[in-house]
Amino acid sequence: MEEEQIKNAVLAYLQKKGYRQAELAFQEEDLKSTSSSFKTDTDIANQILRYSKLDNVPASYKEAYSKLRNWVHSSLDLYKHELLRILYPVFLHCFMDLVAKGFQQEARSFFQNFKDDYETLHLRDLQKLEGVLSSDHLQEMELARSLRENKVTVKMCQFSFDLLLQYLHNTDSSLMLGVVNEHINLQVTPGQPTSWSDDDMGPLLGKPQEGVSEVNTKEIKWGMLEDSLEDKAEKELAGEAEKAEAEGKEAEGDEARKKMGEAGKAKKLKKDKVSGTAGKSLKTETTSTNSGVPRVKSELPMAIFSEESERRALDDLRNRARLSSSALPSVSFYTFLNTHNSLNCASISTDGAMVVGGFADSSLKVWDMTKSTEQHSSFSSVRLWNIPLTANLVCYKGHNYPVWDVQFSPVGHYFASASHDRTARVWSMDRAQPLRIMVGHFSDVDCVQWHVNCNYIATGSSDKTVRLWDVATGECMRLFTGHRGMVTCLSMSPDGRYMASGDEDGAIMLWDLGSGQSISPLMGHTGSVWTLDFSCEGSLLASGSADNSVRIWDVIGSLKPPRIEEKNAIRRLRLLKTLPTKATPVYSLRFSKRNLLFAAGAFNPAKKL
Amino acid sequence: MTILLKETVQTIAQSIGINNLPEEVAEALAPDVEYRMREIMQGAIKCMLHSKRTTLTTEDVNSALQLHNIEPLYGFASGGPLQFKRAVGQSDLFYVDDAEIDFKEGLLQLMDAPLPKAPLDTAVVIHWLAIEGVQPAIPENVPLEAFTPSVELKKIDTLLSKKKDDEFGVEVKLPVKHVLSQELQVYFEKITGLIISRANPSLIKAALDSLATDSGLHPLVPYFTQFIADEVVRNLDDIDLLFSLMRVVRSLLINPHIHIDPYLHQLMPSVITCLVAKRLGRKSAENSAPGRKFIDNHWDLRDYVANLISFICRRFGRVYHNLQPRITKTLLQAFLDPKRAMTQHYGAIKGLAALGPRVVGLTVLPNVETFLKHLAPDLSMEAQRSEMKRNEAMRVYGTLLTAIGVCMTSRLKYFPVFFLPRTWNPGGQGKIVTARRTVVSNSLSDSCTVSQLTNTSPRKTTTSADAQDSQPMEIECIGHSYHSSMSTIELPSQDVKSDAKIVVDVSGMDHSQHQSQDMARSREQVEPSDSDKAIFPLSDSWKEDVTLGPLFSSLIDLFGEALLPFVPRTELNIFL
Repeated sequence: MEEEQIKNAVLAYLQKKGYRQAELAFQEEDLKSTSSSFKTDTDIANQILRYSKLDNVPASYKEAYSKLRNWVHSSLDLYKHELLRILYPVFLHCFMDLVAKGFQQEARSFFQNFKDDYETLHLRDLQKLEGVLSSDHLQEMELARSLRENKVTVKMCQFSFDLLLQYLHNTDSSLMLGVVNEHINLQVTPGQPTSWSDDDMGPLLGKPQEGVSEVNTKEIKWGMLEDSLEDKAEKELAGEAEKAEAEGKEAEGDEARKKMGEAGKAKKLKKDKVSGTAGKSLKTETTSTNSGVPRVKSELPMAIFSEESERRALDDLRNRARLSSSALPSVSFYTFLNTHNSLNCASISTDGAMVVGGFADSSLKVWDMTKSTEQHSSFSSVRLWNIPLTANLVCYKGHNYPVWDVQFSPVGHYFASASHDRTARVWSMDRAQPLRIMVGHFSDVDCVQWHVNCNYIATGSSDKTVRLWDVATGECMRLFTGHRGMVTCLSMSPDGRYMASGDEDGAIMLWDLGSGQSISPLMGHTGSVWTLDFSCEGSLLASGSADNSVRIWDVIGSLKPPRIEEKNAIRRLRLLKTLPTKATPVYSLRFSKRNLLFAAGAFNPAKKL
Repeated sequence: MTILLKETVQTIAQSIGINNLPEEVAEALAPDVEYRMREIMQGAIKCMLHSKRTTLTTEDVNSALQLHNIEPLYGFASGGPLQFKRAVGQSDLFYVDDAEIDFKEGLLQLMDAPLPKAPLDTAVVIHWLAIEGVQPAIPENVPLEAFTPSVELKKIDTLLSKKKDDEFGVEVKLPVKHVLSQELQVYFEKITGLIISRANPSLIKAALDSLATDSGLHPLVPYFTQFIADEVVRNLDDIDLLFSLMRVVRSLLINPHIHIDPYLHQLMPSVITCLVAKRLGRKSAENSAPGRKFIDNHWDLRDYVANLISFICRRFGRVYHNLQPRITKTLLQAFLDPKRAMTQHYGAIKGLAALGPRVVGLTVLPNVETFLKHLAPDLSMEAQRSEMKRNEAMRVYGTLLTAIGVCMTSRLKYFPVFFLPRTWNPGGQGKIVTARRTVVSNSLSDSCTVSQLTNTSPRKTTTSADAQDSQPMEIECIGHSYHSSMSTIELPSQDVKSDAKIVVDVSGMDHSQHQSQDMARSREQVEPSDSDKAIFPLSDSWKEDVTLGPLFSSLIDLFGEALLPFVPRTELNIFL
């Protein structure tokens, strides 16, 4: 009798796994050996029987998982957090196994039972997965497919690993052992268990994560653009400084006079001239901050500026206000009134003289506060507009899906676009076809940003990663993981070394492009971060969010390696100032060349019910 | 198991003309439909995020459908979010209230109706959100205290300052020059001028409205407090001006954009002055002069200020715990001092009454008897000849009666069976005493109901009482039985017995059980033995009510029939 059961179980197993040849062979052999009555090893027999039983009882998943969960939660604190890391992938795979086997109801109830554990960290993924109810869906959905196809890497120390293995073997939970074996790549690290702070597992990527460290070792030239305006300004200023020294005291008198004039101006709230200490003090500053930064030659042919615009830019540089943690910027806020919820994006020209709003009905409105070309994203095409002519000059078609973001390069006539079709493209204004297509994100590319030396572009995606691409080769140079939601905005520091990215949950991450490392996150926003911008010398970062506030962060302070004992204190110290707005989500932020911060948003008063 | 039921699928199928959809098909379709719906909603949320909005609109869903290459057909675009209404009798069923319009009539009506107002065009307005990191107080910005930094941020501030101290030694703060803008100066002058000149009541009203609502007035607050303090001191004889000033105080207090806390201590003296000053308004002699027919009605002013004080305590009492105690102390001093004038007594009683019946119970009630003794000569026709004085005394008596009556009513509401003076007889003193005894036994026989009441509501009473109460309450661990302390008045020697008591923890879980057991025990004891010897512990919350009890009973002696309207009727208890 038992023999018969074993045979059936083995047969069923072979059929299920699709081992045709083996099945036939088994059947053949079975027929031949009907007469022979040798005793099967009882141990093996039991194993085989149990396997078949487990496989058919969906409740065993729930039972085995909750046992594992209890075991992990009751384990020693020292190892607990390491062991906790495996729970989430195990949970997901148990659920997906149930779904794949067609136990709809059980899968649902399993999901509902345990999802609370992970909602704080993985809410969005859970929301997506919750709807999966049949194996077809598993195939169709990106997230589920990538999870099924790839192993998740979980790091743990030797001892935790031993504990886990021991548990899995001792409790006969072959089901969990199977799941762990099939879907999780346990990486054993030598030495002590890692601390809590290193616990950021990051999103469960589709791609095996070993790729990340590999990608991030590529050499990158993150320096500033060679022979840029800043360089020229510096040289010029150095020349001036010599002159100034010759003039001696006289210059100081001038300075004092200038300052007095400044006070008067500030009182009148005159734009762009809030402060502008004389060139002398500025010179020392610029040379000190940027001199250490390497200069990089752009691989793209660059545009040549006219004398006049160059002169103006230099003038701006000279009059730039110095910002630091103790000298906060002035913020001028452009409020859009009566938008009736239809304003989708806003942009401000660098001198603050013009504001553009993009509306839901695909119209652009330009407000002239006191001249240039503007770009705009529209449904699966990019259009170039000429403002003086108020005419649409070119329509660039290439994306198959809506374009989410478009950015001009800091210098030259290139621009990059990001789209729902999971690509980012680099265009040149004089060509109707894209020059480069960056492919690699697993989900929509939501935002794009040029690097200051124009050799790279960064893209943020719904797959919760930020990538850095080489514009010349189209190669992915860096992959940053750590966000827990869709990346909504990006910004590059002016020295080209750091990048900030904001996500829909309100977290802002600061990355070191050179090493590909994250410098711990800036927390504080309670709504999606819509916009980010670095101040001109890179000491401050401004962020605008759906929570009706502009926040100013101290970048320089954030970069200093925190002392271990007051790590948490330091983490929070970086928020310098929160400027709440009156029911106005901040859509766009931009530092002017002279370090005045412009912000724009649509006034959205709460409806009285 | 799925959110979408197969019945739903069948219903939808029917609505498009498929009448007999097999159950299995519906069952198989339901999960897939749910999955698709979720997919589209995820897409819609994405579109919403890219539109930088936080509310999902029908347009987002349409865009999501377009993304999936499906014909967009979901609803119509509208600027604002849809208004959902809850279906009557359902807890989780909502619908959009969208009235159907009969085509024929509706169209005609629509044709006749005037065109709706065109929506305002989009405009851009610039303002300064911050100037060198500091937010200017202008109407475009959020009022300062609407955004209070979290505790964490405060900690950071202290950390920051500490750090600074470490780095640069001690920081010396220089006196800050307060710069007031031209506009604010003009505003201040106009308002003060208007109030002093007492020009036009409607203008003053407009000024007060402006003071109560404008958001940019914060820099003027110190000036206004100074102004009020000066003017009150200078114009104690000008009742109209005092009234206007008090209204200014009220406007400043209710203005949500003003952070008045730091100036409260400067305002309070002036306010209290207007409540308990010996004389407000002109002397009566001057009043008799032509043009002024009546005495200045300072009583009204005192009433107004009493309310103002209770408003202040309610609004700031939570933040400044010693605010109300200090006010109470000041008022109580005025009340207890027999040398004070009648008007001062009036103000003090009025103020204490405005602070709530609990305060009255703790402060006024124990001193009523002595106070009445002191008041009696002024009340009688023979002893007090001056009609003016007598009138004043009558007013004081009236407020005292009201204050105590209200206090008693609020107490008795919880214990309806007490003090129903069933056997009360307006006769000689001796009878009243017996009446009191009957009341006592009455209440005892009803102790069951009382205990039920306490079991259900002791926490409630204490918490509400604590909130009102400012005086630090002495709580004894030993619970006095109501009865024993009742009897302490008559037979003080018995108090000794009440010391053998069980300590009861009010908040304990088994409290009610415990108590009911005690109750049961106590009743056993009560029935066979003399009622006066019965001992049953009651919770701490009782303590104070218990001490108030005898005071209440003595009130009847003191005030007589006048107190009866304040005794709640048993019939009204159903409303409790």
